[in-house]
Amino acid sequence: MKRILLLRGAELIVFALLATIPLLVVNPYALGLLTLLAIYGILLIGLDVTVGYLGQVNLAHVAFLGLGAYTAGLVVTKLGLGMAPALLAAMAVGLLLGGLLALPALRLEGPQFALATLSFAALSTTALNELEALTGGAQGLSLSRPPVFGHALTPPLFYWLCMALLAVVWMLMRNLLASQWGRAFEALRDSPIATDAMGVGTYRHKVAAFALGSGLGGLAGGLYAFNFQYLQPQSFVYDLMIILLLGVVLGGRKSLWGAFVGASVIVLLPNLLSNRLLFQVFSGLGFAMALAAGLRGLVKKTTRPFQALAPVVAMGLLVVGGFFVENTEDWRKAIFALMLFSVVVGLPEGLMGFLAIFLAKLFRVPHAPLPEPSDIEAILPPRAVDGAPLLVLEDLKRHFGGVKAVDGLSMTIKSGSIHGLIGPNGSGKSTVVNVISGLYPPSAGRVLLRGTPLPSGSLFRVSRSGVARTFQNLQLFGELTALENVMVALRGVYRSPLPLVLLGLARSEERQAQADALCLLGRVGLKDQALTRARDLTYGAQRFLEVARALARKPDLLILDEPAAGLAHPDVVQLIEIIKRVHKRGISILLIEHHMDVVSELCDVVTVLDGGKVIAEGPPDEVKRHPKVVEAYLGQPPQTDTPGEPSPQPA
Amino acid sequence: MFRNLCYGSLLFAALGLHAGDTIKIALTGPFSGGSAPMGTSARDGSKLAIAEINAAGGIQVGGRKMKIEIIERDDEAKNERGALIAQELSAMGDLTGVIGTVNTGVCMAGDKHLQEKGITKIICPAAGSASMTQWAKAGVKDLSIFRFAAHDGIQAAMVVEEAINRKFTKVAVVYDSTNYGVSGRDDMLDQIKKQGNKLTVVAQEKFNIGDKDMTAQLLRAKSLGAQAILIWGIGPELAAVSNGMAKIGMKAPLIGGWTLSMSNFIDNAGKNGNGTLMPQTFIEEPITPKAKGFIEGFHKTFKVGRIPSPVAAAQGYDAVYLMAAAIKQAGSTDTRKVKEALEDLKEPVVGVIATWNHPYTKWDPADVTTHEAFRREQTVMGMVKDGRVVFGNDSDRERLRKSAVSATPAKVKGKAKSK
Amino acid sequence: MNPSIIGQMAVSGALMGLVYALIAYGFQLTYATSKSINFGQGELVMVSAFFSLTLTNLGLPYWAMIPGGLLFGAMMGLVVERAGVRLALEQKGEGWILLTIIIGLFFFSAAENLWGRDDRPFPTPISADPIHVVGVDITRLELSVAVGVLAIMGAIELFKRRTLLGKAFEAVSADRDAAELMGISATRTVMLSYGLSGAVAALAGILVSPITTVGPTMASALILKAFSVAVVAGLDSGFGVVLVGMFLGALESLASFYLGSGWREAPGLVLLILALAVRPTGVFGKATIRKV
Repeated sequence: MKRILLLRGAELIVFALLATIPLLVVNPYALGLLTLLAIYGILLIGLDVTVGYLGQVNLAHVAFLGLGAYTAGLVVTKLGLGMAPALLAAMAVGLLLGGLLALPALRLEGPQFALATLSFAALSTTALNELEALTGGAQGLSLSRPPVFGHALTPPLFYWLCMALLAVVWMLMRNLLASQWGRAFEALRDSPIATDAMGVGTYRHKVAAFALGSGLGGLAGGLYAFNFQYLQPQSFVYDLMIILLLGVVLGGRKSLWGAFVGASVIVLLPNLLSNRLLFQVFSGLGFAMALAAGLRGLVKKTTRPFQALAPVVAMGLLVVGGFFVENTEDWRKAIFALMLFSVVVGLPEGLMGFLAIFLAKLFRVPHAPLPEPSDIEAILPPRAVDGAPLLVLEDLKRHFGGVKAVDGLSMTIKSGSIHGLIGPNGSGKSTVVNVISGLYPPSAGRVLLRGTPLPSGSLFRVSRSGVARTFQNLQLFGELTALENVMVALRGVYRSPLPLVLLGLARSEERQAQADALCLLGRVGLKDQALTRARDLTYGAQRFLEVARALARKPDLLILDEPAAGLAHPDVVQLIEIIKRVHKRGISILLIEHHMDVVSELCDVVTVLDGGKVIAEGPPDEVKRHPKVVEAYLGQPPQTDTPGEPSPQPA
Repeated sequence: MFRNLCYGSLLFAALGLHAGDTIKIALTGPFSGGSAPMGTSARDGSKLAIAEINAAGGIQVGGRKMKIEIIERDDEAKNERGALIAQELSAMGDLTGVIGTVNTGVCMAGDKHLQEKGITKIICPAAGSASMTQWAKAGVKDLSIFRFAAHDGIQAAMVVEEAINRKFTKVAVVYDSTNYGVSGRDDMLDQIKKQGNKLTVVAQEKFNIGDKDMTAQLLRAKSLGAQAILIWGIGPELAAVSNGMAKIGMKAPLIGGWTLSMSNFIDNAGKNGNGTLMPQTFIEEPITPKAKGFIEGFHKTFKVGRIPSPVAAAQGYDAVYLMAAAIKQAGSTDTRKVKEALEDLKEPVVGVIATWNHPYTKWDPADVTTHEAFRREQTVMGMVKDGRVVFGNDSDRERLRKSAVSATPAKVKGKAKSK
Repeated sequence: MNPSIIGQMAVSGALMGLVYALIAYGFQLTYATSKSINFGQGELVMVSAFFSLTLTNLGLPYWAMIPGGLLFGAMMGLVVERAGVRLALEQKGEGWILLTIIIGLFFFSAAENLWGRDDRPFPTPISADPIHVVGVDITRLELSVAVGVLAIMGAIELFKRRTLLGKAFEAVSADRDAAELMGISATRTVMLSYGLSGAVAALAGILVSPITTVGPTMASALILKAFSVAVVAGLDSGFGVVLVGMFLGALESLASFYLGSGWREAPGLVLLILALAVRPTGVFGKATIRKV
């Protein structure tokens, strides 16, 4: 309760204060700045969806601002419609083109994604510039604010409109980002492969995130048009994009407050720096803060020397430079750069990231209480085990160029069994898993689940068919908590349509998801670490979390890809316990493993691979003594009739 | 309380530190980025004039002498910042006037805020037609925006005239993709029509800021038989055009806007720039003692061997003297009174470009020239010759020298005259 | 249309494209060792050009000025690495994107104030008069750009293959962790790559300045093109950037001629998005298999 009060209270107070400003201040400059702040707030919240949540450097956002602005301008000037349709059209254009751009950009990441979006931005500037008949080209488009309900929109009224829209966007986005959608966006950033493998669908979420962010860009563009009432294509270019990007990161990613703070910095700071006195105040304050924080960091050894010293040097340069430079207006960009440098180096989580920790401590904001875990019987009801063939591989082949990683593999996993798959390094085990789970399409052969072919080459569709997997090289969503990792993957909980989610009317299913996820975390012994970020967990705990997350898919077949790799002995023991517990619920398991102890203890049947082919199959004890198996592991035929155990090679 | 806080934190700039004992004049323009050579030249020209005035004790306002205080704002050639700066300036309350702006787009986005509050502004040196015609279009009755620059209409007329005089019939129109270039293109096409369609435009070619390889555009113009290139653009790209013509062996003169006189064109085009023609209001040649003093003063004060944009600098300089004369005549620092005085300056103002005799009259939305100081007479054709701009026609030198010494003919406009 | 005109445009465009390629090569060098690139590379080109101009104005002959300019570029590259990249790489974050942009902004503002805002000519002993080669006009200046670009790329590639230090560079590029296990300091190698990249940027500045002039904004148009070339060719494509750079330059020139000069960049941009959609790792990049 206290938490809700504090968080919502802060939002309310800020918005109430912002709303009363026009009543108190009749200064058009202050109002102009604050109006722009509201518009940029919306813009940056949109940008934060792709930059913060999707984690991609999106350089097209400024184009959506421009396209939205021009759409609104044209709707008003050419069609003679009012403000509401203009803003809606601006947003629709953003949504639509954003979705379209996401299609080719879908496969891209990092620099490639940045470039694709950059090219789009350049193209749209060219189009706005060249379509002179429509947009007026470089000479710009002048428009005026159409009256609303017969009233001319005075600056304070327009300001309130922008603030109101910011508040609405804020509320809707808060609801959306706190839901499965927000988690899916973040999951996508941390591991697209695991996102697909957990049945969440990178495709539609990436498109949705991009369209959503771009739609907000378009909306902000509409407001921008009515604010400045004069548009030129050159306003929406790379320079502004860089400033926007800086705003998001400075404010703090993945945070509505961060977007707002970032917008304040980029709107207010450059304009305030024009005043010499303010500049000296800022640089003095900045220097003092950097010095204090730097010294504290150095003494406590919480920061690296560079991180502590660089901001001090940069701010010191500002203070010293302030005395020597005749005209600070000439150096404005450099001053801006030095301030930004200090913040980015000193506070890598952004201003809001830093403040959030600080304020949470100050006000002792408690974490939202977790619900009671659900009953395991409700989540994973025991399944009937009939021993019928569950998964059948028929003459499966997968070649990479000339390498025959899997070369004609046939095997059957019976319902209710724990089936081991072993083999020396490079024998093709992982490739088999990757083909079954849909990461690679097979070169030849079939995979049947209960007699029907599994979709080939799609992690997402295989996952939706009832096969879940873990990863040999962990593919957790590192930035999410353990609880959220499981919640992302939960199957059959999220049923509310998008509008309800946006309005915050899907809370009950969110509680349900938390309860279910907690129960599953309990099954792997991680209930107490539910709120720890996955990347901060111990290695063993991370392995167990992968199992819990896969269980959240409520699968018929669970594929465990070397779950014991790298685990210490006590953890191995616990792992065996966990797998046994899972098996008791009637879930069939395909276990890929090097540890013979684990295989011997758990498996009913073991298939041994070498060179992409089956060399032996049977109960663990039999297989261990199979001459071909011994040869494969030791590289020579057995000398005596009591060969030792094949030496398990660490992964 | 909150109100104070807001003022205190947000509007320090607006309140200023000392009030009452100075005349506040804002100088705006792009001081960084691609248009900076023009912006800083105009600003420094203005600063030079202000320094001279202050050194002489200031301006006689009412009973006492007041010095000028400069408020400097860099608009970065961005419309958005231009609009915010205009809002800031219009909120100051005790501002007497604004001088500046290079980019027509910045005028379009920002000046309406100044006009709303009736703040007097002299646009200098933005030349795009739209920055004044927008007020005529809107039918504004009382305008506080003046211009002190040879607007593109005049320049385009001269460019076309020059091409016709030189007996060309086929020309290519080449322009940059900014507001400036495109509006120059429209003005030139308009003038070709107005002057009897004696020129055939064989090609219209565009280039972007930053383009350095103009081969394609020029080859098109050449293959279509252009005899001259009428060009509207800014500095370095113009040089790229000139150098590109030399490369493909195209021998046609460049005729275009005043930016062809900027050092970044002249230096970079080198000998390829020789013979280029452009309308000029000021040529960095000490033809009068006033001009000599200005040029030397500028070089010394700002430690440069040559003014980056002499035209912008001279206009910035003269604009300050016009403003100062208006303040003196109004006997007040009130921006509205200064506006009225500007519309009816009784005494000629001696500037470096000319002696300005009643340059503005009462605003008439049907006639934008009421708020335009420059007429065809103050403008001459300049020509690039060995790294300098010289008079294109010798007769102009004499004419200018005369007009600088005697005064420009007073602008007489029906109603305004009687006022 | 007249084939010689097409030839002229293709050649002019392609020669300009070589400059894109050279800057793109600077991106590759740092990407290879650290998976990071300097988003302020354009400003590096610019400040190095200004510095070289200052050397020339101090009376240094052209050929003596070049090493000075390269050294300055390398030093600036090291500054970028130390101030903007190293910390972010240690934290495995992506702070380098912003920090390199911010450092670029600082360089830009500093150059404006130290050297002025005006574009200035860059003297060169190489003549700008055109020579005719099978109906196509080329200036010696443009040829010198081509020669310079290929020479420095060749030299650096040789260095990577033939020297011990160069081999360390290749090792870190191939597998950073393994190289560290073999006793190669990855940090030093990243420094080396940023130094080289800075020198390459400086050379690009020196070569292109006589054509484009020297000014604070001289590289802002170049750098986006260079980035496109680097990514489309593939950030590990080596000489691939040369082909892609020349292709893009020629395409722009031809598009400008046939579609109208306003649409000059459009075909390149569309092709670029398509090329990336088909081959995300670049036309000449190594295709990667998704591994888990």
